[in-house]
Amino acid sequence: MINRIIALLIRYQNIALGSTPRLISIFYWPTVQILFWGFFTNYFYQINEFNIWSSLNVILSAVVLWDVLFRSQLGLSMSFFEELWSRNLPNLFITPIKDHEIILGLLMISFFRTILGLTPAIFFANYFFNFHLFELGFYLIFFFFNLTLIGWSIGLFVSALVLRYGQSFEELAWAIIFIVLPFSCVYYPLDSLPEVMQTFASIFPTTMIFEEMRSLIFNSHLDYLNLIKIICINISLLLLSSIFFLYILSVVRKKGIMVNQGE
Amino acid sequence: MKTSIKIRNLSKSFDGKKILKEINLELPENGIFGILGKNGAGKTTLLATLMGLITPTSGDIKIFNKCLKKNKFDILNQINFQSPYIELPKKMSVYQNLIFYARLYNVKDRVKKIKSLCSELLVSDLLDLNYGKLSSGQKTRVNLCKALLNTPKLLLLDEPTSSLDIQTSEFVRKYLIKFQKNYQSAILITSHNLEEIQYMCDYLIILEAGKVKDFDTIRNLLKKGKKSRIKELLLDD
Repeated sequence: MINRIIALLIRYQNIALGSTPRLISIFYWPTVQILFWGFFTNYFYQINEFNIWSSLNVILSAVVLWDVLFRSQLGLSMSFFEELWSRNLPNLFITPIKDHEIILGLLMISFFRTILGLTPAIFFANYFFNFHLFELGFYLIFFFFNLTLIGWSIGLFVSALVLRYGQSFEELAWAIIFIVLPFSCVYYPLDSLPEVMQTFASIFPTTMIFEEMRSLIFNSHLDYLNLIKIICINISLLLLSSIFFLYILSVVRKKGIMVNQGE
Repeated sequence: MKTSIKIRNLSKSFDGKKILKEINLELPENGIFGILGKNGAGKTTLLATLMGLITPTSGDIKIFNKCLKKNKFDILNQINFQSPYIELPKKMSVYQNLIFYARLYNVKDRVKKIKSLCSELLVSDLLDLNYGKLSSGQKTRVNLCKALLNTPKLLLLDEPTSSLDIQTSEFVRKYLIKFQKNYQSAILITSHNLEEIQYMCDYLIILEAGKVKDFDTIRNLLKKGKKSRIKELLLDD
């Protein structure tokens, strides 16, 4: 019996240690949780009875908008992984479909999946908690659009890595945005972070978006220069990740990886 | 001479290891061509390179007298491929899978084409089933339907009858021979089933360690080697 248990332990250890993303995930989850809830608690202590309702509204808006990013990233990655899981990729790539058409297809399906997934959530939030996301007005479209751009960029980046390095990188698809979550200031403002981290966090486009969202809800004010900056950064991110995806496709063709995936 | 495939000095290396070495080959415009070779001889790499799944390290490939590198999408419209190792999405029904590929190949009268192919390949009753629920023999026949959707001028088949029972294998072989005659297409087959190669193919390409060791009609190769069966020809090595 001991031998069999030892065999199992060795096998699971080999699986976990044999893949860098899996190994990293063992360590980063507890750290991410501690950081996230630590920062959130800091912020929560600052909320007083005068702004508790608007703070809760901000948190609910943040939940929905963060999910836009998560759904659009996951919607893209999972659609692509379906092709890998079904060992269908070579069939797809010997058709006259062009690489950029595959990217466009993935972006569109991710968009539809996001809309479909969020509609009931928004309905329930509205019905049960009297939460009106649409009070963000036109800027809701702006936030939605920009978070979708970030989600697509991350989704393309992760899909390319999985295509190149294999299924051990799939874990990244679920985990990657939670790595940036504590520094994205989704549920708490930038100034609730320790000073040393504020500079680092402020370079994240997600931080810029959620800071503007809070500013809009609390102060009815937006920094338009910041909005332009946000959209420029996010379009650049999408372009860079698309280029990266196309580059990985060419690498995969050079290395014959696509053929091996079918076997 | 009109050729289906014209290969000049084709080489492919993976991490410094040469898998295909200076391959030169000219295949007539139509006919059935068998590729034989030991494991690791480069059969799959050659097929994948012809479909653009692998970029060659050096050399040129022309398909229907057009450069593959420059006219890839035009050429891909006219070729297709089937392998038991490459599947279709399992959660989709057979019909959903076929209609998807029919769209990608821009097939006219898609539904009609699918129905007629499925009827010919005896898979009509599988159309509503999820692909993942099919047996490996059923999958092979459905994959063949997919491979014939665009009535390819060049059809690449990797072990086309593996996992089929004797009767179905025979049926598929006869079907492919008929298909080739009807459409005057070129069919390239890799198989470890030597009887199948001898039965179906007009020409034989023997690959050895990434090189073309021999290419001729099966009749000429047997005559040259003074053998009566392909097996003897290979075992002679």
